[in-house]
Amino acid sequence: HQLELFPGCGVTLLLFDRLRNAAALRKKAMEGSMEGAFINPAMIVDPFQILVAANKAVHLHKIGKMKTRTLYSEIIFSLSPNNNISDAFKKFGISDSDTAVLIVLVTDGGKTVNVEDIASQVEGQQVSLDELPRLADTAKIKKLYKITPQEEKIGTLLDSIVCRMSTKDVL
Amino acid sequence: SRRRMAQEARSLLRCRRAGISAPVVYFVDYVTNSIYLEDIVDSITVQDHINSLQQSGNDTSSLLILAEKMGELLARMHDEDLIHGDLTTSNILLRPPTEKLDLVLIDFGLSFISGLPEDKGVDLYVLEKAFLSTHPDTEAMFKTLLKTYAATSKKSGPVIKRLDAVRLRGRKRSMIG
Repeated sequence: HQLELFPGCGVTLLLFDRLRNAAALRKKAMEGSMEGAFINPAMIVDPFQILVAANKAVHLHKIGKMKTRTLYSEIIFSLSPNNNISDAFKKFGISDSDTAVLIVLVTDGGKTVNVEDIASQVEGQQVSLDELPRLADTAKIKKLYKITPQEEKIGTLLDSIVCRMSTKDVL
Repeated sequence: SRRRMAQEARSLLRCRRAGISAPVVYFVDYVTNSIYLEDIVDSITVQDHINSLQQSGNDTSSLLILAEKMGELLARMHDEDLIHGDLTTSNILLRPPTEKLDLVLIDFGLSFISGLPEDKGVDLYVLEKAFLSTHPDTEAMFKTLLKTYAATSKKSGPVIKRLDAVRLRGRKRSMIG
């Protein structure tokens, strides 16, 4: 995926199911020994949700106004409908008991992602992004983003989520 | 300006939460003060729709149904205490297919939150003036719009009263001017 507003900036999404080493991955992510944002796919309805978060994170990174320390933690934070950083990590980041993980990588200036390098450290099965809807916990997502019933009539769940993500710092 | 943009974003989210059709906000850029919104593909403005219906000469009944839909939409917006601030027929879009009369409100740059009947009355007055000056022979249409507005909105009584008062003020001003 390319970020329209930031040409040359590529976003790669890798989805793994039947995950067995969630705890190890989380540790590596926190240590910074493994690159990427490690996201709980149960909270993601569509790759576009990630792109919106990545777009915002890259934008803030470029102007030096990120709320978190790294680009990858900023992506996770951008997914959250509120401004509580630790809550964002708890809800959207990978937990030790997770059985699936969505790894997001951002490359600037045409650098390529070494997928084998990442995949070799993941004890799980890489699957197509088409599996995202199956892995999404719609009820939990609706509750977290506080989607109203009236809202569901005028647009998709993705529409509502994106709206909240993009306007949370305006409110 | 930044404040206007923030207001617009806030209003768009408020609409969405209330189930009022408005474009989705994709990204707010505080550096360039721009908002990236959903593009309602192949939409036409209510203004163009009314014009084309009037030109083809048929169907005043569909214009009245459109008016009812508009009245209902505005009533729901005002019941959320959201004032659009720039109501015209070019700020209301029709999603395709046009016959479904699926309306989308746009351009909330001048919007604000208010529960005051005066503000809601003025909001309707702006639309009335825009309506009647852009679209000849649409008095019946606007009347239907107001009727549905009054029937849909729980707080419409004082609003219509204020609208009548604002209309009088408007007339007085043009008499002196």
